[in-house]
Amino acid sequence: MIKVADHTVDWHAGMTISDLLIEINDPHPYAVVRIDQTYVSRPNFDKTIIPDNAEVYLIPMVAGG
Amino acid sequence: MPEFNLKVAKTLNYKRPEIEKGYNDQTLHINISEADISIRPVEQKTRDIFVGGKGYDLWLLWNAVQADTRWDDPQNAICIACGPLGGTPIYPGSGKSIATTLSPLTQAAIDSNVGGYFGPYLKFSGFDALQIQGKASRDTIIFIDGINQQIQILDAAGLPENAYELSAVLTDHFADGNPRNISVVSAGPGAQNTLIGCLNFTWYDAKRKRARYKQAGRGGIGTVFADKGLKALVARWDTVTADTNNPADKAKLKAVAKLHSREIVELDPKQNEMARIGTTHLVTIMNDHDLLPTHNFRYGSHSAAPNLGQEIFRRLFDPGFDGCWMGCTVACSHGVKDFVPLTGPFKGEKVFVDGPEYETVAGCGSNLGIFDPHTVIELNFYCDAYGLDTISVGTGIAFAMECYEMGLINQAHTGGLDLSFGNRASALELVHQMALGEGFGQIVGQGIRKMKAKFAGDFGADPAIMADIGMEAKGLEFSEYMTKESLAQQGGYGLALKGPQHDEAWLIFLDMVHNFMPTFEKKAEALHWFPMFRTWFSLCGLCKLPWNDIVPEDNKDTQEPAKILKHLQWYADYFSSVTGRSSAPEDLVAMSEGVYNFQRIFNLKMGFGTREHDALPYRAVGPVTELEYESRAERYDTQLKEIYKVDIEDKTTAEKTAIMRQLREEQYEKLQDAVYARRGWTPDGIPTVDTVRRLGIDFDEVLEVLKARGVK
Repeated sequence: MIKVADHTVDWHAGMTISDLLIEINDPHPYAVVRIDQTYVSRPNFDKTIIPDNAEVYLIPMVAGG
Repeated sequence: MPEFNLKVAKTLNYKRPEIEKGYNDQTLHINISEADISIRPVEQKTRDIFVGGKGYDLWLLWNAVQADTRWDDPQNAICIACGPLGGTPIYPGSGKSIATTLSPLTQAAIDSNVGGYFGPYLKFSGFDALQIQGKASRDTIIFIDGINQQIQILDAAGLPENAYELSAVLTDHFADGNPRNISVVSAGPGAQNTLIGCLNFTWYDAKRKRARYKQAGRGGIGTVFADKGLKALVARWDTVTADTNNPADKAKLKAVAKLHSREIVELDPKQNEMARIGTTHLVTIMNDHDLLPTHNFRYGSHSAAPNLGQEIFRRLFDPGFDGCWMGCTVACSHGVKDFVPLTGPFKGEKVFVDGPEYETVAGCGSNLGIFDPHTVIELNFYCDAYGLDTISVGTGIAFAMECYEMGLINQAHTGGLDLSFGNRASALELVHQMALGEGFGQIVGQGIRKMKAKFAGDFGADPAIMADIGMEAKGLEFSEYMTKESLAQQGGYGLALKGPQHDEAWLIFLDMVHNFMPTFEKKAEALHWFPMFRTWFSLCGLCKLPWNDIVPEDNKDTQEPAKILKHLQWYADYFSSVTGRSSAPEDLVAMSEGVYNFQRIFNLKMGFGTREHDALPYRAVGPVTELEYESRAERYDTQLKEIYKVDIEDKTTAEKTAIMRQLREEQYEKLQDAVYARRGWTPDGIPTVDTVRRLGIDFDEVLEVLKARGVK
């Protein structure tokens, strides 16, 4: 089980961030997602595996500075 | 404690006006050549058009200088203002000062938006802006004591040279037992001996019991400060509450402030954790998107970049509240406690380092090929202590390093320094030399534009390649984002009024990642709207981070997520509640548009401000060298084939690089056309008479400047 934006989502082995976004049906083009304290950028969504019991933050970053 | 002597040269006792809806409607003018202090009223028309903050600064500066005034003439003024919303302690990010002067780098008006307590304390002492002209024959301190309603000009002797010790000494001296009542502005020896000096503005950290520092970094304002003989400005004020600005509608102010503060407290831990790690989260994000400058902006990523990322600084930053203004819930001004420099006058001593922020990490780290956080922290510390802008230091040294690696300069020119990328000792040595005004550091400290001229004229270096790789525009060094793959951000830098600083337009993610602006028209619209709205923060004395770095969870589902519409409405309510000037979100943009166009015309007055001055070095637009092309060959080949329909079969890398250059430079020219048209400017980038009339800035002197350029 993982936590995403105050909801729980079933976890499965090998689950990537891209898998998660498909499973929760969230098509927003996130630039960045945080897994606990680790920031993962979109180019790495396909290859970043989410560990069980992780807390995932979907960061709606649009700008900075 | 060093022994020092302060001698009063002039005192003016005054009666502080009751602040009304965020305004005093008077400004403070000091000429340090003549030890003259005067207070002048602000006309209603000035207030309506220029609003405050940067707007007031520009108006004062415009009236202070002539077209032929140089940065080091006594007439040049340093103007510092807060803004009508500045000093509100219950709304996040409301303590900014805006400093403005004629820049030694660009020769035109430069502005820098900085935290710390000075601007609010200046305003609460009775002044919406401060203008300083003249030059002192000895070290001078200006003391603005809002509690005792007294302005003093003091001759100083025996004070420390570096900003780190100087601010601590002066805070202690003027505090009268309450150091939180004091804010100090100072520069340092690096500011004196280079053209890239910054100003350090202090805020008092009650928990750590020390003065902390924020920097007005860009454009050499610290150099002008030092050239005037100013040692420091000191402002003193008492308790600050939500009533201190005497807002028009306190209940409405409290309501909207509560909404924004609470949202940040709730969402920052779920988003970028700025209250814990500042802006260092950007390092790896930029690196992953190929946007982190490495090796003088050649490339946008490096495998060692995570060594400079948030995971490292999460451990290095001293935990605690780090708000550069009271009550700010973003509180991103972190620092490193008990840091021990390995070089320089503080070698072996424990010091507290304010920073680093993203720009310093990228500029003094990855862009120099340095991926050691301790070196970055040491460069940060000495830049602050010496009064040097970390961005111009980083981008300037990066240029020198690439020139060295290309063989354009050698150790005979550098005084024996090996300037290979990644050489940490040489980078630190250059900064120490800048402080002393000695060696090759003195040359680097003149900025890239002067370095290019010297390397070509004295060392025989090829000016053409240096024009391509020297990352300056309008004379100002680039801040730390790669723009090769974002045409909109090329415009964000190239069309910025003061030079390539990202505060006008930070469009990379909107353009590259979200593809919100696929057409020239949409890019032009973004390059109209964002610079205008971002300007508004500096009119009011605000920080932009609460607007767009922590965003509502449902923002992505709104009609225009890039603008963060919920926050726009909050800012309109905030402005209305303090000033009593009823405003909708579109009114905020309209306020800025007049000031923005006025600044463009100010550039014209000083001999700049046309299309040719919006040019970029090609390194900002595309791959300069075959090596750069080859490093991203798949990307560039695909673009040539699929976007530009170029047959690249049998083409060499050199040929493809040349074709790419021609196409990309054409794109930038087209972007300029589209943006100028959207802004109501001529094809040469000059505001039309219709535009200045529409914006209410059609003063006689403005029309004269336009007429002299053939715009009638």
